[in-house]
Amino acid sequence: MTKKNQLLLNRIAEEASRGGISRRDFIHYSVAAGVTATTASGLWTTSARAQPKSGGTFRWGIHDGNTSDTHDPGTYLTRVMIFLAHTHRSYLTQINGDGSLGPDLATSWTASEDASEWTFELTQNASFHSGKKVTADDVIASLNHHRGDDTTSAAKALLTDVTDITKDGDYVVKVKLGRGNADFPWLMTDYHLAICPANDDGSIDWKSGDGCGPYKIDSGEFGVQFSLSRHDGWHGEGAYFDKVEMITLNDPNARQTALVTGDVDSVSQVDLKTVALLQRDPNINVMNIPSAGAITMPMHCDTAPFDNVDVRNALKLAINRDEIIEKILFGAATKGNDFHHSPAQPYWPEGIPQRDYDPDQAKSLLKKAGAEGLTVNLSTADSVSAGAVDMAVLYAEHAKAAGITINVVREPNDGYYSDVWLVKPWTLVSWGARPTPDVMYTLAYKNDAAWNESRWQNERFNELLLQAKSELNDSVRAEMYREMAMLARDDGGTVIPFFNNFVYGARSNVGTPENLAASWESDGARAASRWWFTD
Amino acid sequence: MSNFVIGYYAALIAASCLAAYYQNRKVFMLLFSLTLVSFVLGIIGGVPALRGVTIFAGLLALAAGTSYAFREFLIQISKPGIAKELRTAPLTASFGMFVIFTYAIAGIFAPWIAPYGESEVIAQTFAPPDENLLLGADQLGRDIFSRIIYGARNSVGLALVATLLAFIMGALGGLLAAVKGGWFDQLMGRVADVIMSVPSLIFALLMLSIFGTSLIVIVIVVAVIYSPRVFRLTRAVAGNIVVMDYIEAAKLRGEGDWYLIRKEILPNSTAPLVAEFGLEFCFVFLLIAGLSFLGLGIQPPTADWGSMVRENATLISFGDITPLIPAAAIALLTVAVNFVVDWMLFRSSGLKEQ
Amino acid sequence: MGDLAGLIAKRLGLGLVTLLVVSVLIFFAVELLPGDIAQAVLGQGATEETVAAMREQLGLDRPAPVRYFEWLAGAVTGDFGTSLVSGERVSSAIGTRFINTLFLAAYAAVIAVPISILLGIVVALLRNSLFDRVANVMTLTSISSPEFFLGYILILYLAVKTGMFPALANLRADMTFVELLHRTFLPALTLVLVVTAHMMRMTRAAIINLLASPYIEMARLKGTPPWKVIVRHALPNAWAPIINVVALNLAYLITGVVLVEVVFVYPGIGQLLVDAVAKRDFPIVQACCLIFAATFILLNLTADVGAILTNPRLRHPK
Repeated sequence: MTKKNQLLLNRIAEEASRGGISRRDFIHYSVAAGVTATTASGLWTTSARAQPKSGGTFRWGIHDGNTSDTHDPGTYLTRVMIFLAHTHRSYLTQINGDGSLGPDLATSWTASEDASEWTFELTQNASFHSGKKVTADDVIASLNHHRGDDTTSAAKALLTDVTDITKDGDYVVKVKLGRGNADFPWLMTDYHLAICPANDDGSIDWKSGDGCGPYKIDSGEFGVQFSLSRHDGWHGEGAYFDKVEMITLNDPNARQTALVTGDVDSVSQVDLKTVALLQRDPNINVMNIPSAGAITMPMHCDTAPFDNVDVRNALKLAINRDEIIEKILFGAATKGNDFHHSPAQPYWPEGIPQRDYDPDQAKSLLKKAGAEGLTVNLSTADSVSAGAVDMAVLYAEHAKAAGITINVVREPNDGYYSDVWLVKPWTLVSWGARPTPDVMYTLAYKNDAAWNESRWQNERFNELLLQAKSELNDSVRAEMYREMAMLARDDGGTVIPFFNNFVYGARSNVGTPENLAASWESDGARAASRWWFTD
Repeated sequence: MSNFVIGYYAALIAASCLAAYYQNRKVFMLLFSLTLVSFVLGIIGGVPALRGVTIFAGLLALAAGTSYAFREFLIQISKPGIAKELRTAPLTASFGMFVIFTYAIAGIFAPWIAPYGESEVIAQTFAPPDENLLLGADQLGRDIFSRIIYGARNSVGLALVATLLAFIMGALGGLLAAVKGGWFDQLMGRVADVIMSVPSLIFALLMLSIFGTSLIVIVIVVAVIYSPRVFRLTRAVAGNIVVMDYIEAAKLRGEGDWYLIRKEILPNSTAPLVAEFGLEFCFVFLLIAGLSFLGLGIQPPTADWGSMVRENATLISFGDITPLIPAAAIALLTVAVNFVVDWMLFRSSGLKEQ
Repeated sequence: MGDLAGLIAKRLGLGLVTLLVVSVLIFFAVELLPGDIAQAVLGQGATEETVAAMREQLGLDRPAPVRYFEWLAGAVTGDFGTSLVSGERVSSAIGTRFINTLFLAAYAAVIAVPISILLGIVVALLRNSLFDRVANVMTLTSISSPEFFLGYILILYLAVKTGMFPALANLRADMTFVELLHRTFLPALTLVLVVTAHMMRMTRAAIINLLASPYIEMARLKGTPPWKVIVRHALPNAWAPIINVVALNLAYLITGVVLVEVVFVYPGIGQLLVDAVAKRDFPIVQACCLIFAATFILLNLTADVGAILTNPRLRHPK
């Protein structure tokens, strides 16, 4: 190896240890410097992986917080609370940076043959900030908080299949389900299902803000700011920062200037308009992570004119997804294909032909359906997502070319999800990321689901959904999801223009792992415990 | 030293000498102090600073020239009585009238003036200005110039209607309260107190959440919020007039309330009301802009200056002037309205300048 | 002076009636808002059963008048109840935030009031000069820009470009007073820009209004210098309208700063109120609105009393 290459290699290694270079780039450059790929891989491990340093106060600006937030896991709603929950509380399982399922409080989990009974083995090292050990009782009480007739939890629907939760000693929890569900451990990552200390009567103590997460709350005010410091008895890896400050920054301009001026070290969302400008700042890294969150436009399949599959497909062909992604999201999205299964989720079926803008074919489909010169109303509201109304306006412009008139109806923000969604025949809806396709399809596409937003009834789809749910063989399951995707794409009633990306930013002295989790912004809401300072 | 700098000082000094020759003290002082200031500026800021001064002075001269010409134009086309009044207008006031006139033209003839439709997507996102797009394109690729023109119609129209409605309600209430007095006066006073004691933004937030954000609701809510201020002013002004002897005389003649208001009180209280109109108009404008900041304003894709500022406000941190254009449009109009109002106020106060 | 005490008592009584009417209005306005607290708290995840369970727990299934009178009974004894969402006492939820709001208002007022009155006097003295015109255009421009936009521009120049002041005004308990003033300077400056113009213009107008009076003419004919005419003769009679507009602007500084709070992330009472409206949290909305209304009524009363005290003719009625 020449001296020049050695120098280059040192530079790359230094860059890797700052966290400023990805593993793939590291190996690429190292090989270019005359090292074999295997050696480079090893080098990466020594220079980068061993790297995270402890120390510092991580100031984290988070969008979407509210002064009327509470610590009740059943009513978590805002991003600030979801992020706080991932910082001061723990879950049974967690979604890793690479999208796989990893352990949190549960070290291992096994299912019965038909996936209807799950056994979770808990770590024995975990403790609450009060010093109390985390035991099976706490887990059971925390899950039961979302069950039963008088629960006020928004996660009730998630656990309706659970029939019984029992313990087997202090560190084993057994969950019985009414029907098999191979994804049950994935469900345990849901942000509502945080583990809180149990009271003697089997309820949980959520009011005190005690938790068993990597950081404990020193002081805080809802909708303003939380100050946390490291919990020494934490059971997991990471938690490099000494202190974490979570600051509610609802105004996009406030977030941006705070990041630019260094008043915060990271923000959970960047205004998409300014991403290109922000990237020019050498002190700032912008992360752009494809997620499983999506915009959907469900048509009621039992209501004319949407009861005709040709009309539905004509509308799916009349939208120019590329222009919407370019203009509304400034490129920060993955193109949708009218089935609600994102590449960021497991079992994603590759190779399904992409549906594109084709007004001519839309026209001929309408002719076939006898619905030429179609006029329909599309309901939306500003609060659905940034640019939701603009998006509908653009769609209406596209559809003109296919002879379709779309009247964009801007509904009031307040009560959109109670008075418009599921009520009006065609609406525009924003869905958060769900961990697996099964969760998503069961929530909003199953024939008898309360939120079957397109009122779509397809026998084969529902049959496959139930089979796939309890199928423990991965490749068989993936094949089933492919068939379901095709059914939803060609027969279903939902236009899915795109899966949005999470776009957030950090100062360049913040080190991050190579892969960032796609379940929430800021590395699956776990930036506080997964990131570190490089200087 | 560049030719520009030489020309700059030569022009200034020559103009100063000319002013001194014609013994115009004010102009001379202005020009000569500008020359002295320019020396300091030129040393500190160099040529760019001097260029800035030139551009600024040029703009000022342009505005003054336009105002002068516009005043002459108005004098020529109006009747002798009005023309005489107009001659007393200072340049600032005629500048104000010119701006208002321009906005009115833009608003009324928007569809013919604007090169593109209000919501027509015609270019790339944030396309830079060129000969087709005078001010470039916005976040959806719509022509900003066209949207500003349509905005004149929507924003100014809405604010104007709301302010007028507030004035009709407030002034009528105030005049009636002053003439009738007694329990009616008390009742109106308390109602005004109640409305005024709830912060306007919160009041608007509650009402718009209840009744939806259609244009009619916005106009009515804003009018209700601002009418008590008009009511109080009218009540105070009219209260002073009601106790005058000539009102007593009219009452003794047996004239009705309506006659008193129309013939005696209103003509004597227009000046403060008109002055208030100018300020209220600005406040209404700003309230509507503030409402759209909270997401409760005019519906997209309707162009509205307040929303246009809000939609692109984050760009200002990168020195992009896109959000400044509609903000400047708002500011220019309010300044113009107040210039005119100042003149009217000055005339009606009866103050003769020495 | 007995008349004055009587006047104050009467005005306070009327103020209480106004507060009562405001509380009824606010209560029914919150009732009329579409959706309710259960739906707002549960969001998209609300199902019929969970919404019903939450309504029952909060006692929202009882008729509205009953709930209003229960609240009123508590309020009369000084108990404003607990937040429906968090279960926190209303007094503790509002306490520190109200102090923050008062602090920011005081900060802005201490800068804005002297500046605007002084400027008002100066421009009245130099009326129709270049200085008057420039001051006029500057102040008009500052009030005619939306305040969130003023905030953005100040942030750009004083925080991002020069770094002289922090862009965020988030407070910490352990800050010294100087740190506090430094951190909250930008929001205070924004408010100063918003209110100065109005006060300055009214001061100028009030003084110029008097300049046409015979007694001023008299003073001028006696050869009193112009500044003395204004300070000695015009100003004392102009106090009433000036105090009035100052009071109005002080009320605005306390009640109208929601947008500035949002832009600078300042933990004041306005943001709390907007959030509470969004969540239909009636006790918080009610308490905030009553605080605002009471502030407004008291400041108005102070202005009127001040006007009487500074005006010899009103102090000694015929």
